[in-house]
Amino acid sequence: MDIVFSAATVTYAGRAALHPLTLALSESRIGVVGLNGSGKTTMARLINGLVKPTGGTVTVDGLDTVADEAAARGKTGFIFQNPQHQMILPILAEDIAFGLKNRGFGKAEIAERTEAVLARFGISHLARRRVHELSGGETQLGAIASVLVTGPDLLILDEPTNQLDLKNRALIERTVAGLPEQVLVITHDLALLDGFDRVLVFHEGRLAADDRPAEAIRAYREIAAC
Amino acid sequence: MLNGLDIEGDSPLHLMPVRGKLVLLFAAAIGLFIVSDLRILVPALGLSAILYLSTGIGFREALRRVRFVLFTVLLVAAANYAFHSLHEALVVFCRLSALVLLAAAVTATTSISAFMDEITRLLTPLERFGFVRAADVSLAVGLVIRFVPEIFARYGEITDAHRARGLPVRPLTTLVPLIILTLKDADTIAMAIDARGFRRH
Repeated sequence: MDIVFSAATVTYAGRAALHPLTLALSESRIGVVGLNGSGKTTMARLINGLVKPTGGTVTVDGLDTVADEAAARGKTGFIFQNPQHQMILPILAEDIAFGLKNRGFGKAEIAERTEAVLARFGISHLARRRVHELSGGETQLGAIASVLVTGPDLLILDEPTNQLDLKNRALIERTVAGLPEQVLVITHDLALLDGFDRVLVFHEGRLAADDRPAEAIRAYREIAAC
Repeated sequence: MLNGLDIEGDSPLHLMPVRGKLVLLFAAAIGLFIVSDLRILVPALGLSAILYLSTGIGFREALRRVRFVLFTVLLVAAANYAFHSLHEALVVFCRLSALVLLAAAVTATTSISAFMDEITRLLTPLERFGFVRAADVSLAVGLVIRFVPEIFARYGEITDAHRARGLPVRPLTTLVPLIILTLKDADTIAMAIDARGFRRH
């Protein structure tokens, strides 16, 4: 799926969070790195219309994220930095069904899809667990399941291994690597970018490097060393 | 199997439609407040307890869920004994306890999403008059149930942080950060609701 930024700009109270960005993304695995406050999350939130550009446009599969907001959003799933915040209902299976209900699926299909996605991520045993009692890794998997159950073409993950222990970090890395969907990951966990097609480096609201992982990470290290 | 607020099972209450349960609960509440005869209220309390336990919840869990409310009911009954009579205290205790047990039985046999669906259905006619957005009200109910434990957990973290820093735990210094952090979370949660396709049209 093509994601196209055409001079997309975001300004908050006169301060540019993202300077004009022109970029086309179509790779299967895209990484985004940068220091804190460099514009990574703003750029990612533009893709599913959570943030509106104050200048320029962003299109997803040809759909404008402002003019065709609902349709464009239907093509992208978003996992927040703290996935607990996006679990809306108290029981995992009910939370997964929530997204399907909002998209107008019937009862039988909701049950079938929910069961299937839980099985896909190996978390069927957690179906009736309270979401606030899930571990970090379980929460992350549950959040991914709850987003992918609606069938988006692109999954955006904002720091998915943040606050996870080594075991859960490896679990999420394996899960992300195995996803058939197009994936865009914002991360400080550089190991997660192994095998990625393309990595973008942001610095002070601008795209500072755009390359294959090894080269992009080198550029990122140079920025971080300054 | 205990799973959350509701428990899986196939008791008659599990099989009953949500609306039926809510109507019966409403009717029982009216009936319990009309009657003051202990010959009716005591069996009603017993029946409510049997109904609650028939959900398969187990005695310990059943007690854990209602003990705080029953303690409050006991305090109300004690106040009635102090200011009125033993008969009045027993009437209040039986009446309120029966109602608490019936409500707990409904909660134990109804999933949150089923509750939300029913609230949406019940309120949808009011949308025509522009009073409410039914889906918003049901979502609000779901969110309250979902995030109350989070708020309690956050309060625990704030009080622990006070203790770790050797600070006294005072309402002002705990509630202010709690409110600020909760409001910050609320922004993200609102964004997540949008991201997950609520209010697509």
